[in-house]
Amino acid sequence: MAEIRCIVVTPERTALETTSDFVAIPLCDGELGILPGRAPLIGRLGFGELRLRSGNQVTRYYLDGGFVQVVGDTVTLLTERAVPAGDVNAESAHDQLRHALQRPIATREQESIRDRLVAQARAQIRVSGGDH
Amino acid sequence: MAKARALDKRRKSIRNIRKITRTMELIATARFKKAMDRALAATAYTQRITDVVRSLARSGLKVQHPLLDPRPEVRHAKVLVLTANRGLCGGYNGGVLRLAFARIAELPGQLRTDLETAKKADSANVRVSVEVSGKRGIAGFKFRHVEVDERFTQFEDQPKFADVDAIASRFLNQYALGELDRLDVVYTRFASSSKQIATVETILPLASVGGDGADDRDGPNRAAVDYEFLPSAESILEEVVPTSFKVKLFKCFLDAAVSEQIARMVAMKSATENASDIIKMLSRTYNRARQSQITNEIMEVIGGAEALNG
Repeated sequence: MAEIRCIVVTPERTALETTSDFVAIPLCDGELGILPGRAPLIGRLGFGELRLRSGNQVTRYYLDGGFVQVVGDTVTLLTERAVPAGDVNAESAHDQLRHALQRPIATREQESIRDRLVAQARAQIRVSGGDH
Repeated sequence: MAKARALDKRRKSIRNIRKITRTMELIATARFKKAMDRALAATAYTQRITDVVRSLARSGLKVQHPLLDPRPEVRHAKVLVLTANRGLCGGYNGGVLRLAFARIAELPGQLRTDLETAKKADSANVRVSVEVSGKRGIAGFKFRHVEVDERFTQFEDQPKFADVDAIASRFLNQYALGELDRLDVVYTRFASSSKQIATVETILPLASVGGDGADDRDGPNRAAVDYEFLPSAESILEEVVPTSFKVKLFKCFLDAAVSEQIARMVAMKSATENASDIIKMLSRTYNRARQSQITNEIMEVIGGAEALNG
């Protein structure tokens, strides 16, 4: 069976380079599952969870926005931060959420900044399993 | 005897200094290697971002973003100065500071004339704020009595993206809210391992997205890929531009870190060489002093013997 090569690149280093059967990536408007043979794609990532499944094993990562590029059977994820799901700090995410919710939203710009911070914090809490 | 002993003492202390400078040179070399590897690792990301931008451009999208357009009125300019936390690196800090002071001195006047020629009201109301990274730079600004708004000392030879990201996000937010109209960075650009140049670069508004001059080097086999854009090309562009700003700022920090280590390496190398030269010279003088002392003593002995014989 064909496999997908998955590469996660952050500005500091190549965080992950592996092969798997199935990849689920968090796009900014919902999750996208990728199997081998996907048509070429460039997508915008949101804050959320990256799942790599090979066999019965599932590896989970938290991705902090960025882009995805799919060419052939190679999935390249460009993200500012890639953290294994177990290492996500739920406490600091809760803090961020609290502070973000107190930001003023008098103008559209302020609102969009706040929305971004809130979405980021909520995604971290979700991935860390804090709200289960 | 006194002179020879003093020379010997000096020679010993210089030998110790040479040991220290030699060690510092070795440390700088090791750090330079690490910093360089890191800078190289970062280029993988930059290249792929450029790739995305190129694909966007090929899809016929007009590249347009608030961060790319110059503001009609520039009232709040900011200058970010990247220096080292430590000295003993030759002209590294001096070069950056000299450029920074010149830019900070000329910027308010320049903004005012720009506003006047554009016939905007209230042209006197401009503000230039300064942010400095590195203890050396902070000390330099304090000495010159230039007010500094923010100080960073957390950047060493391996700047973390998370740290740079925090600063970059703050700038982006300020820019979006209209609290900032222009951002200049003064840093040492790494041209090659034998050439680093202190430069001033305006990175907000951004001059271009993606790498400089990296366009159109793709072969015919790469041009053929026809991408699907999710959710849309515009939405991706909206995200690419801030990201490429962050990456650009990160690259400035990386360049500064690499250049600092090279500057220290070169400075310590010449210090070690100089110490060796001084030791050589002192040894010569010391030997001569010792020899003349011995000659003197022999003369005295012979003189004494002659006197007894006579």
